[in-house]
Amino acid sequence: MSAHASDKFVYHEPGLQHQFEDMKQQEESVSIGMWLFLAQEIMFFGGLFTAYLVYRSRYPMAFAAGSNHLNAFWGGLNTLVLIVSSLTMALTVYYAQKSNRNMQVIMIILTMIFGAVFLGVKGIEYTDKYNHGLVPMAGLNKRVKADKNAHHEVEKPCWEVDHNAPPVEHPNPRGEFLWTDCSLAKLAQDKNFLTPSERVGYFTGDQIDIEKFKGMVRIFYYLYFVMTGLHALHMIIGLGLMTWLLWTAWKRNYNSEYYMPVEMSGLYWHFVDIVWIFLFPLLYLLGRHFMH
Amino acid sequence: MQSADVIGSGFSDKPKLNYLTNGTTLKSWLLTKDHKRIAILYLISVSVFFLMGGVYAATIRLELLTPASDLLETGTYNKVFTQHGILMIFFFLIPSIPAVLGNFLLPIMIGAKDLALPRINLLSLYLYWLGGALALYGLMQGGVDTGWTFYTPYSTTFSNSYVLAVGVGIFINGFSSILTGLNFIVTIHTMRAPGMTWFRLPLFVWAMYAVSLVMILGTPVVAITVLLVAIERVARVGIFDPAIGGDPILFQHMFWFYSHPAVYIMVLPGMGVVSELISNFSRKKIFGYEFIAFSSIAIAVFGFLVWGHHMFVSGQSIYASMVFSFLTMVVAIPSAIKMFNWTATLYKGSIDFSTPMLYGLGFMGLFLIGGLTGLYLGAIGLTVHLTDTYYVVSHFHYVMVGGQVVAYLGGLHYWWPKITGKMYSEFWGKTSAMLVFVGFNLTFFPQLILGYMGMPRRYAAYPPEFQVLNIFSTAGASVLGIGMLLPVIYLLHSLVYGKPAGDNPWRLPGLEWRTSSPPPTENFEKMPVVTWEAYEFGEDNGLDLEEDRRRDLAPVA
Repeated sequence: MSAHASDKFVYHEPGLQHQFEDMKQQEESVSIGMWLFLAQEIMFFGGLFTAYLVYRSRYPMAFAAGSNHLNAFWGGLNTLVLIVSSLTMALTVYYAQKSNRNMQVIMIILTMIFGAVFLGVKGIEYTDKYNHGLVPMAGLNKRVKADKNAHHEVEKPCWEVDHNAPPVEHPNPRGEFLWTDCSLAKLAQDKNFLTPSERVGYFTGDQIDIEKFKGMVRIFYYLYFVMTGLHALHMIIGLGLMTWLLWTAWKRNYNSEYYMPVEMSGLYWHFVDIVWIFLFPLLYLLGRHFMH
Repeated sequence: MQSADVIGSGFSDKPKLNYLTNGTTLKSWLLTKDHKRIAILYLISVSVFFLMGGVYAATIRLELLTPASDLLETGTYNKVFTQHGILMIFFFLIPSIPAVLGNFLLPIMIGAKDLALPRINLLSLYLYWLGGALALYGLMQGGVDTGWTFYTPYSTTFSNSYVLAVGVGIFINGFSSILTGLNFIVTIHTMRAPGMTWFRLPLFVWAMYAVSLVMILGTPVVAITVLLVAIERVARVGIFDPAIGGDPILFQHMFWFYSHPAVYIMVLPGMGVVSELISNFSRKKIFGYEFIAFSSIAIAVFGFLVWGHHMFVSGQSIYASMVFSFLTMVVAIPSAIKMFNWTATLYKGSIDFSTPMLYGLGFMGLFLIGGLTGLYLGAIGLTVHLTDTYYVVSHFHYVMVGGQVVAYLGGLHYWWPKITGKMYSEFWGKTSAMLVFVGFNLTFFPQLILGYMGMPRRYAAYPPEFQVLNIFSTAGASVLGIGMLLPVIYLLHSLVYGKPAGDNPWRLPGLEWRTSSPPPTENFEKMPVVTWEAYEFGEDNGLDLEEDRRRDLAPVA
């Protein structure tokens, strides 16, 4: 758009958009915009956290049972990986401010590697859920044919399942959600700390109903997949952002005068990191003492 | 002052380009970053959705002409009122004033060249189109019958309609309004012209600021809620369906946490427009500027604390209901502050009954009824009787149609000469404003009575004793429909045959009236410097408004 006569004569700093008067105004605008976007993101994840808290407080034992089947080692490793990636991201901004192009590029590559490792570990975990019938949607789990010759065990009550024994592969011809262990419901019943919702939610009459308990564990896995899935989606978007940043940093676009895009991408990256810092304890750590 | 600039820049004899003539290819429109062109594209889009929603409304009123469900089957009727609600709320009311008038005027009113983030602005338009296309796809495939509120477990488990497509459409459309709100707040913070202090901002800008807050903080919550409903529908996991351990009340909490503030998205912009109209067409500085400005913010803040009043009969704790009821009454205070200040502005003003002012005064009357009936519904005792009756339907139409749509039409007429450079027919404008006012009251006042008598909403059939009032209502709807269709005709007519409007047809001091009509792409020839207060009609505004006005009023010799 060159409708404006004065455009031809005014010196424009590189990177200055046409609607702004000077760099300071542009930086301020972009920065406020990014913070508002993050506020929006907090509300977005906030809805999920609310749902999680409501169900966690209603069915604590089912959620503890679900938590125990997540691998805290992988979760912990991912936490470490993300925190280190935040460090390299912060260093990227630092080196951009120092006009150090080579270190910038190195730090962006490191950040991307850590991001990719995070997603890789997430992939391992999701595969594990797929293999063990823990994906809460019928048809999305590994299908295991029922073995007709198998020796049928005597039906034991669900609370006597030994949860430290090596996992048994249960037949699952339709790839449904599987859950056989209700020992935590029994524990809460024996020690008398069931919540009112649990009294209704796990029992048929006086008997623990594994089907009902399974439904509540399934809610945990549903929330687990939605929360970590949306987080992983944010990571993928972050990696896309990093690829663009790598390209522009390679072309020597950023220096002590102009580094706003680096700083803004950094804000986004740190935000995604912080979401994980909340997700990890909520999903992996709460209630582990009941079994470990 | 202005003419000197025009002479200074006019060293070619070609006519000066304005935003409409600067680039005429389709690409220059579809990839534009100019807030004014984006506003025009929004104007066309929301008008299409408004007319579609209007066709559904007409169908509803025709069905209710007779007590039996003869025109539509009950199942079809469910789809018709649902689609009326979805199109009108998500695709017309929410974007109407912010995305059309706000987009066009906010940068001009504060003396900026554009919104702070023009590419984000274009992105929001495309998200709106994408969301709208998905919703339309769902409607054409067979429609939705859940009501616009998507209450669970009906929407997640039982409804056999296209909830998924429409839900995803609303999800995407939500991000369009988030981005618009984000852009507005950034722009108001950083793009004000020299001298344009916070308390010199037009009140329309304050209203846009308040509404943007609601959009940014509320919309993501409904987005995630709709997403959970969609996933629940596909995966059959009970988070909202009680049959498999879920909680339908959780859905209502999460839905209304956004959707109650959203009803303020549907009236705050209208209040902003009306503040402009009342002050400017009384030719008097607005009474209590700061109070009106902060009452907008107060409505936005309190709006987040009252969502529970939609759940008084959903088995919510009585103590929660009492708190929500109290807070609902509190919202009436900032709204009343506005009403009183507008009234005080009119007092001893030099009132000009032009078309925009007729709409503005109409807003005051209709919003008054809408607001007061809201207080009845906010009282926990009375609401048991009134919940889910036509009283509720009438109440929110008084606020949304009587409020937002009337203000939107008023604003559109008011700024039409600025947007297009052409003047519409004043006679037809006044006629349509009067038709809308009369038709609206005839449609919805009988519904207040019907609701009080106990006629429930969302049924295709009703007992014969309600028929007389329903006939009144349908008759009113026809008048209202004509009143709403007229502007489409004479505004389009004015584009070709209208008189050139001039830069300042209303002789007003606001910044938007100090640039040419239609404005150039960069809004102002050079950066304006603001030295006058908002709504300054005295000597200090730097224009000779009264002189111009005397010349306008003088008989042509």
